Amino acid sequence: MTSAHLLLIAPFESLGFMRTALVACLALAVLNGAVGTLLLVRRMTLDGNVLAHAVMPGAAIGFLYAGPSAMWLSLGGMASGLAVAAMAGLIAGARAWRDAALLAFYLVALSLGVMLVVWRGSNVDVVRVLFGTVLAIDRPMLLQIAVVTSVVLIVIAALYRPLAAGAVDADLLRALGVRTPYGTIFVILVVLALVASFQAFGTLLAIGPMLLPAAAARAWKLGVAASMALAAVFGLAASVGGLLLSYHANLPSGPAIVLAGGVLFGLSLLASGTLWRPAALVQEGA
Amino acid sequence: MRSCTVEGVHADGSIVLRDVTVRYGNRIALDAVSGEFRAGSLTAVVGANGAGKSTLLAAIAGTARLARGSIDCPGALGYLPQRTLIDVNYPMTVSELVMLGAWRAFGAFRAPDRATWARLAAAADVVGLTGRLDRRIDALSVGELQRALFARLILQDAATLLLDEPFAAVDEETAEVLLQQVMRWHQDGRTVIAVLHDLDMVRRSFPATVVLARQCIAWGPTEIALRREAA
Repeated sequence: MTSAHLLLIAPFESLGFMRTALVACLALAVLNGAVGTLLLVRRMTLDGNVLAHAVMPGAAIGFLYAGPSAMWLSLGGMASGLAVAAMAGLIAGARAWRDAALLAFYLVALSLGVMLVVWRGSNVDVVRVLFGTVLAIDRPMLLQIAVVTSVVLIVIAALYRPLAAGAVDADLLRALGVRTPYGTIFVILVVLALVASFQAFGTLLAIGPMLLPAAAARAWKLGVAASMALAAVFGLAASVGGLLLSYHANLPSGPAIVLAGGVLFGLSLLASGTLWRPAALVQEGA
Repeated sequence: MRSCTVEGVHADGSIVLRDVTVRYGNRIALDAVSGEFRAGSLTAVVGANGAGKSTLLAAIAGTARLARGSIDCPGALGYLPQRTLIDVNYPMTVSELVMLGAWRAFGAFRAPDRATWARLAAAADVVGLTGRLDRRIDALSVGELQRALFARLILQDAATLLLDEPFAAVDEETAEVLLQQVMRWHQDGRTVIAVLHDLDMVRRSFPATVVLARQCIAWGPTEIALRREAA
């Protein structure tokens, strides 16, 4: 065996859980590439972050009810994510303090979730919920990620034009008399994607694999569809790199993957010259 | 609440405002404005910064919520928001931006047909953007972007046009081209309402004027409305 083989292939060849983690990460990279790019062009990164934490209390209640069961964690997480999204929708008119209110939602959700988990579980459970367990993904969880990824991607493909157009000029579709609530549909897709990411990356990190590869791809100033594809490629690269790093250096895998995504983002900013056109970044709000 | 009905007393297409009030938090942006934009009229909206001009257009377009009062307006509107509301970093080409104006012709799922592409080419020609349709919108000058947004309005083909500072910060040549298009819309019998700062232009080209200072100060023929403004 060559040293490259030992370094890059052998960990996946010899260990079943590494292969499962890799497959899950690949599915999530494709899902997050599409959803993350739309979050960026719709300038909703703060909303995405808040929704990631909003998943927490519901997942915690699912955990209290059924222990660490993929289905109950997900159903609970989806319920509380959608509830917070609905509350955020109610305050959408109050622009002046919208950011503060969103932050309040996310802090309350996070604290409530931690308290609920500690109440019945252990500190280990808290770490699991906060940072995820990529290497502990099992078949049912993998199946769930695959199903959510397929559904969300099909919906985005079908509604691609209104979802993308709504980002340029939010008032245009309304002025044109389009009544379909595409904004709401998109928020539901984001919650679904976050719930799928939740068990792999935890409530604190789930937004990372969603935003970092997408932001890295956006730095290259491609069209929206091409940017989604590049974000998926970056997501794949970050997943493989992060998993290998965690294997060889014995580091936690979720944070390693997010870190690899961060490195790709930094390199993209430097290499694409985006850093030297700061106006573009400021407006993007990324 | 805003009512927007085609049937009823205003089937002639005029826009009627009754006691229109808009608040942002505790601040009153527009206070009890009543009046009528007749069908086919060409009206300038003038006033100091913060006088509620943009809010008035947003209220008519339905993007600002009314705290009180009602607005009757006929059918579809073409709305040109202030340029700051457009995300110019969005990765799209000029032709994609303009084509959004013809949304009703293809909707969320179908591709634009040949006739719609021909309308896009004609609109680009009118605003002088032929040959620049494949450019990215982040590479456009302020004037070029405004021309593109006008082309989009032409494709929208609405009976009523709301223009928020259409000539602000654009070069003279662009302003001239865009003003000609406003006049063409007026000659077509469309209702045009434009927020403007250049009072000389208002006097020269706009038959009717609304003067706002949160409340309605004057509403009528430009000569009379602006005389009261000066006094």
